[in-house]
Amino acid sequence: MADSMSDANLATAPDKMTDFPNPVNAEPGMSMSHFLVSSVHDMKNSLAVMADFLETALAQAADPATPLYRQASQALYETRRINDHLIQLLALYKIEQDFYPFDPREQNLADLALDALSRVANLAQSRGISLEYECPDNLHAWFDYELIVGVLVQALHNALHYTRDRVLCLIAADPRGGISIRVEDNGPGFPDFLLRQGASHQREISFETGSTGLGLYFASVVAGLHRGGERHGSTRLENEGPLGGGCFVLELP
Amino acid sequence: MKIHNLPLPDFSRKSFLIVEDYEGMRGILRDLLGRAGATRIDFAASGDSALTMLEKTRYDAVLCDLHLGQGKNGQQVLEEARLRQLLAPHGVWLMISAEKSSEMVMGTAETRPDDYLVKPISETLLFIRLRRQMDKKQVLAPIEQAMRDHEYLKAMRLVNQLLATPSAYTWDMKRLKAELALQSGDLEQARAVFEDALGQRDLPWARLGLARILFQDNQLEQARQHLLRITGGSRAYLDAHDWLARTLESLGDLDGAQKALEHALSLSPHVAARQSSLGEVAARRGDLETAARAYRRGIELARNSRNASVEPYLSLARVLLARGESGEAAEVIGRLGVDMKHDSNAQFLARVMEIPIRLNSGGEQAARQLLAELAPSLRHDAHRLPPELAFDLAGPLLQLGDRETLDAVFTNLLANHHEHPDYANRVRALYAEAGREEEGVKLVEEATRSALDIMDRGVSLSRAGKLDEALTLLREACHKLPGNPRLLLNHAYLLITHMEQHGRDLHLVYEALECIKTARRSAPHDKRVGELLAKLEQVGA
Repeated sequence: MADSMSDANLATAPDKMTDFPNPVNAEPGMSMSHFLVSSVHDMKNSLAVMADFLETALAQAADPATPLYRQASQALYETRRINDHLIQLLALYKIEQDFYPFDPREQNLADLALDALSRVANLAQSRGISLEYECPDNLHAWFDYELIVGVLVQALHNALHYTRDRVLCLIAADPRGGISIRVEDNGPGFPDFLLRQGASHQREISFETGSTGLGLYFASVVAGLHRGGERHGSTRLENEGPLGGGCFVLELP
Repeated sequence: MKIHNLPLPDFSRKSFLIVEDYEGMRGILRDLLGRAGATRIDFAASGDSALTMLEKTRYDAVLCDLHLGQGKNGQQVLEEARLRQLLAPHGVWLMISAEKSSEMVMGTAETRPDDYLVKPISETLLFIRLRRQMDKKQVLAPIEQAMRDHEYLKAMRLVNQLLATPSAYTWDMKRLKAELALQSGDLEQARAVFEDALGQRDLPWARLGLARILFQDNQLEQARQHLLRITGGSRAYLDAHDWLARTLESLGDLDGAQKALEHALSLSPHVAARQSSLGEVAARRGDLETAARAYRRGIELARNSRNASVEPYLSLARVLLARGESGEAAEVIGRLGVDMKHDSNAQFLARVMEIPIRLNSGGEQAARQLLAELAPSLRHDAHRLPPELAFDLAGPLLQLGDRETLDAVFTNLLANHHEHPDYANRVRALYAEAGREEEGVKLVEEATRSALDIMDRGVSLSRAGKLDEALTLLREACHKLPGNPRLLLNHAYLLITHMEQHGRDLHLVYEALECIKTARRSAPHDKRVGELLAKLEQVGA
């Protein structure tokens, strides 16, 4: 593999299925939701293994200018994108079935940024995209780590796909309290219909663009779970940020 | 900032244990640690072999998968390792799991891992978390050591010192502070921490802490409200379901208690203690089928582990007898004899339970013979009988006409539990039914008075300055009535008083500690337990 921390060697051994919600009062056994959830788990693991293979292959490839290299890089993006979606589906299922163990803890945001960026670094490198972050060293916020890293990685994957050659993750304290996480790119920006829909929960599936809206829906559900006093987290999309492209914004109280 | 060129941590002087049943994953974790220079890495493929390794080496960090295939899971390994003090005070326990689970999130300082990682694990996150936890545990090691020595006040002083300057560990400290306050019986201080936390965020662990304090304070309705807010938000907080069940049971809502336990079991069925709780609640409701099933599962789960206990076998046999299935009850007791063949007390109790079983299956002659054999031990060692087993024995003793043993068993039971109104009522009813109402009333009175007398005599002796005599008296009584928390705590109090006058004495410290720990087993929520532990810590120090 390439250099030091570009570790997409996300350790992806096949994991063992665990806490399984059986209908109350029923014997542990089989049901449709059991197969759905365990299959999604299984697919997620297989995709992660495939993505690792692709990253290794890309790292060893001699000439990044060949069509094969570009296609492998595209395959890596698609694999990661579907993997994100499966992770989101599983989390949403648990949240909506009331058995996600939501665990807000006060955590360091530079750690979060470093982890999220390292998970997408190989993809960025294979596309020749410059990937950077800015975050104060001692900034902390209350959040559920796995959910928020999921939102951030998905936003980064999206930005890496649509950007020209730069992606920037900006994390800063919000003067009103809480923090804001911005993922900026220098691509063409979000299309109007997405900006109009904003962070609304009710989002139509767009067959024209192929967007299911899952990523944004997941992000807004996760943001909404984070509450502090009267405030709760939120997401929004903007264009024409400092890099001139699209910007995904996540605010946490 | 670019993420490339970050310095790797230096783990070359650290020792690691990787507990993982899947070989491929062991290799991945080894390679990751190796990239940071680690060379001292041991492996265990199962919970049992992990414990064997932990017995030999105090590792700097343990990376443990929550799910280890057959046998113990990672959570059970962690709890056993903590209980047996197999971890260095600075040792880090990182739990690794395919999914976030309730055990990793809730629980107490004894049951929670230091941190957890949900797969897939990135190298970056593994290193970040390991480094942060290693730094933190270095700072916390003296506190951990104090807690192991049951020096909760000292631990509290250290926590408060650290809390004086804000750090990345502030919330870990606050949570620890609340737990320490609970251990030393200072409910108000614990409550203040939980309320402060809830003022910041709706944190499930803080709400659960508050509910536990309300439960201990007997404010059951308020405890129920808080617990419902947690369990209503998510079914995943299993501890909260267990406490909800306990609270509802105390409020007399057995249906609700059973439902709460079944909810928790539907998400996490592999907890022996939770299965036993369901068995108890279901049996009390008369739902014998559910009770039998739950006890059976509890027995299976605990078999051959340190959690194995006689109680679920006896309870299952009792339920089966109530259903008229004496053959199956005999089988269960037979299995108890095999499963716990090295435990002489278990063997004794198994044989005692055989008396009602034989009688139920028409073997009166066999029952009589067994009773004749056991009667001397029953009279002499009545304190070894769990209360419910004593009640199981009542009918057979009456039927077989052994009044002397009956009186001995219940005199001891009531002296052992003189503050338990339920037992007194049941004993009176039992004697009344056998046409011996007056004798029953007298027995209850005398047994209760005998326990109180000993304590009164102890108090007057110590007031008269005859502290040594008082100690001898209570020491003997504690031996005969080891299930009486009031007596045990009074004895501990006298021991502490003695040391206040004559200086600290390690033998007496140890004796007092044993008394307090034994009392805590039968009265886990007694406020005096924590107060006496605190006093014991201060005496002559």
